[in-house]
Amino acid sequence: MNFLRRQLPLLITFAMGVVFACQYYVPHPVSELLLTTVTKWLQIIGGFALVLGITSLFHLHAGKIRRKEPGWGYSGVLYASMVGTILVGLGYSFSFQQWILGKETIDGVRTMFGWIYTFMMVPLQGTMFAILAFFIASAAYRSFRARSREAAVLLVAAVIVMLGRVPLGEYLVPISGDATQWIMNVLNASVRRAILIGISLGAIALSIKIIFGIERAYLGGGRE
Amino acid sequence: MSGRKFVDWLGLILVVSAVWCPPAYADELSAPREVRVFDTPSDAGGGLSVVWAPAGYDGPTVEYQVLLREKSDPSSAMKVMGAFPSDTHYVRNSRLPWWTRPAPQTFHLYEVKSSKEVEVKNGVMYEVAVAARRTGEHVESGAVEAVPAPNWVNWNQMNNLVLVMLFGSLVFASIRTAKRREIFLRRIPGLDAVDEAIGRATELGKPILYLTGAGDMSEPSTIAAAVILGRVAKRVAAYETDLLVPHRDPIVMAVCQEITKQSYLEAGKPDVFKEDSNFFITTDQFSYTAAVDGIMLRRKPAANFFMGSYFAESLLLTETGASTGAIQIAGTDSDHQLPFFVTTCDYTLIGEELYAASAYLSREPIQVGTLRGQDLGKAFILGVLALGTVLATIGVLFSTDMPAIVLDLFRDLK
Amino acid sequence: MTFAERMLRIDRRIIFLLIGLCTLLPLLYPVGLAIKVSPEVRSVYDKIESLPAGSVFLLSMDFDPASKPELYPQAIALLHHAFRKNLRVIAMTLWLPGTGMAAEVISQVADGMGKVSGRDYVFLGWSPGGSSVVINMGQDLYKAFPSEYFRHEPTKDLAVLKGVRNLRDVSYVVSLAAGTTGIETWYVFGKDKYKFELGGGCTGVIAPGLYPLLRSGQINGLIGGLRGAAEYEVLTGLKGQALAGMDAQSATHFAIIVLVILCNTFFLFIQRSRKQADQR
Repeated sequence: MNFLRRQLPLLITFAMGVVFACQYYVPHPVSELLLTTVTKWLQIIGGFALVLGITSLFHLHAGKIRRKEPGWGYSGVLYASMVGTILVGLGYSFSFQQWILGKETIDGVRTMFGWIYTFMMVPLQGTMFAILAFFIASAAYRSFRARSREAAVLLVAAVIVMLGRVPLGEYLVPISGDATQWIMNVLNASVRRAILIGISLGAIALSIKIIFGIERAYLGGGRE
Repeated sequence: MSGRKFVDWLGLILVVSAVWCPPAYADELSAPREVRVFDTPSDAGGGLSVVWAPAGYDGPTVEYQVLLREKSDPSSAMKVMGAFPSDTHYVRNSRLPWWTRPAPQTFHLYEVKSSKEVEVKNGVMYEVAVAARRTGEHVESGAVEAVPAPNWVNWNQMNNLVLVMLFGSLVFASIRTAKRREIFLRRIPGLDAVDEAIGRATELGKPILYLTGAGDMSEPSTIAAAVILGRVAKRVAAYETDLLVPHRDPIVMAVCQEITKQSYLEAGKPDVFKEDSNFFITTDQFSYTAAVDGIMLRRKPAANFFMGSYFAESLLLTETGASTGAIQIAGTDSDHQLPFFVTTCDYTLIGEELYAASAYLSREPIQVGTLRGQDLGKAFILGVLALGTVLATIGVLFSTDMPAIVLDLFRDLK
Repeated sequence: MTFAERMLRIDRRIIFLLIGLCTLLPLLYPVGLAIKVSPEVRSVYDKIESLPAGSVFLLSMDFDPASKPELYPQAIALLHHAFRKNLRVIAMTLWLPGTGMAAEVISQVADGMGKVSGRDYVFLGWSPGGSSVVINMGQDLYKAFPSEYFRHEPTKDLAVLKGVRNLRDVSYVVSLAAGTTGIETWYVFGKDKYKFELGGGCTGVIAPGLYPLLRSGQINGLIGGLRGAAEYEVLTGLKGQALAGMDAQSATHFAIIVLVILCNTFFLFIQRSRKQADQR
């Protein structure tokens, strides 16, 4: 049992890690074929993993409904929406006399599934993203204070960029556009690059540890 | 005559002679010399490289043509695979590093590849010639034979391999050092606050919300988030506080379930472990955000952890969390979302601090040693940056290629 | 509690209302201020402008409906430009939720400009795998997408794809991304391996993170957010949604600037009164 839970996964990780690290340096079509094949495996595993996720989702919400937990009605809505969309998206349409199979339009005519996509999913997702603008304003008002000299510098930079990114700002303060370009291209890009260097080294170190089995916590449990 | 005057006179003579005397080679269009054709090294096949010596007539008025035909079909006409002014396509323009350059920098280099009309096939013998053309004139080199083939090693990228191996050795050496003696770790306030956050949640009798981000298990940030979850879960188990871990990726969920279970076991509280503390919501970004925001508003967790990689949803999550009064700790390598986390969270682990977190929380020599290795790597990069800047400047100031011997070692080559 | 303290703790719904008004009013009463085109947007435009007719242009719309307000106008402007230049357009998406929207935008623009699916453009739709799709396309486009989206015709038979075997045969790729999978994926798994020119378009919120790619030449240009889309519309002479939205964006930016100034004024006021109280 321990072999299946520990040694075998570590062995697979080591073998695949070394092979695919080397793959980067091998231009031969065989190496490309290997990569393509493994990416296909990943797609298949990803498909099965979704079943795992959906099972968890159903299980969790079924429990909530059964126990009549506070807000169990939302779980009911989730069930209804999910089952309804699956039926409409994959089921047989009598008006089109064919199976829908995820098509949003058939011969230019919108299906019921297409209707759900266009008139429910698009506006709902758009709304969620649009809330960001409101939250940015509220977060800026609540937290963007010149508590220190560094915070003051950030504040000034933010105001310049906000001015420089809109026509009204460029109209009122003509230099703000160029100043924004400079801040974004020079200060922002160089600082991000520095952060990226740190992140990349961290990622390489973590990858090395995982490939060589030094870091095992992701398998569940501590080191043995 | 003073030295200065002599230089002035010499300059004048050179300029006058250059203007007055027509170049001796102007009318002598000769066949390209020293033509060599070979399989393009370090490629996936289907390519031939042609090099030939520069000629005195090289200039915008003369054009080179690279011609090709299959050797098995000698009766067919040679097809033009490329045509360009003769003062272009030098080895020095090819971006090849010094260790894979096929000829001196002043030589011409052209890579013959399949075009829409002609397919260059592996294993087929081709005849290649180079022609020089000017209005009314056409001279051709003799045909040279070569066979394209795929290669097993990309020698251009060997610098990359050496640097990775160097860094890997540095990490292993640091781990060995850390096993022998203690290494200082600077304080990370965000991680010091983990205990405080869990303690507060216990006091208030409220749950702890832990998010692992938007990435899948192939992302180092998600792995780091999962590792930190293990440490957090262990302490949460000890305090018997509720833990909620909503997921966007089913595989991450499965892995985190195992990690959490093991942490509860190690804390000696397997009976407190709830199978559904890790649960899947959806892979969709904003549907997930809406669901987590809902959890925050309904369950009012006392502490929110945002670890891993995030996108536009970051502020929507953290601002909602802040509005519920929860203590919030973020850790992300998504540098573009850092401003939002810094503004709305009590503590933020920036970039590699996220990877350092497991070392900080565990204090295991292996983890701490890795951190030291990273720091040494960073010091090395800083040194290379400074050296590279100096050498590149020298190269420009003195119009010399010498610094390239060092600079090429650190270039991103394909 | 002093006035300043009360002001710092105002109900955030008041701020939401202010932002709502700043968005709505300029949309109802537009002003139409002039827009200056940034070099990163111009680079994308210039690249497409430099392509000869018949070149292959690939537009990957890697976003979902949430990013529609910012990236949809970018897609319209880019497709408009590409069709006007008579380029052969390959459109696709790496984001499943964005498939319907991507199909809508390409057919809408193509119909408006008299372009025919299969002859002038092809919409490949979505294929699972993200980065794997890019790798597969780099190997063999027809294996990655055996059929097109609208009529499921085999891609091998399409006139628009004549002579195109894989990503190496594409002259220019632009990824309009709302996150990952997106521009970085196209760079790491596409351009890096298969050597095509790559440009990007993205939401405003992730644009700053992509500037290092721009500076290092990993992407040749970047259209950032609604502002970027408006700049592209200026370049193409298209009067689209982005230009209309710029006044609203101006107003909201100014509202946030005013809010930040106000919050700092109150903050400084509180700090000063605390200092004075300490001295007493």
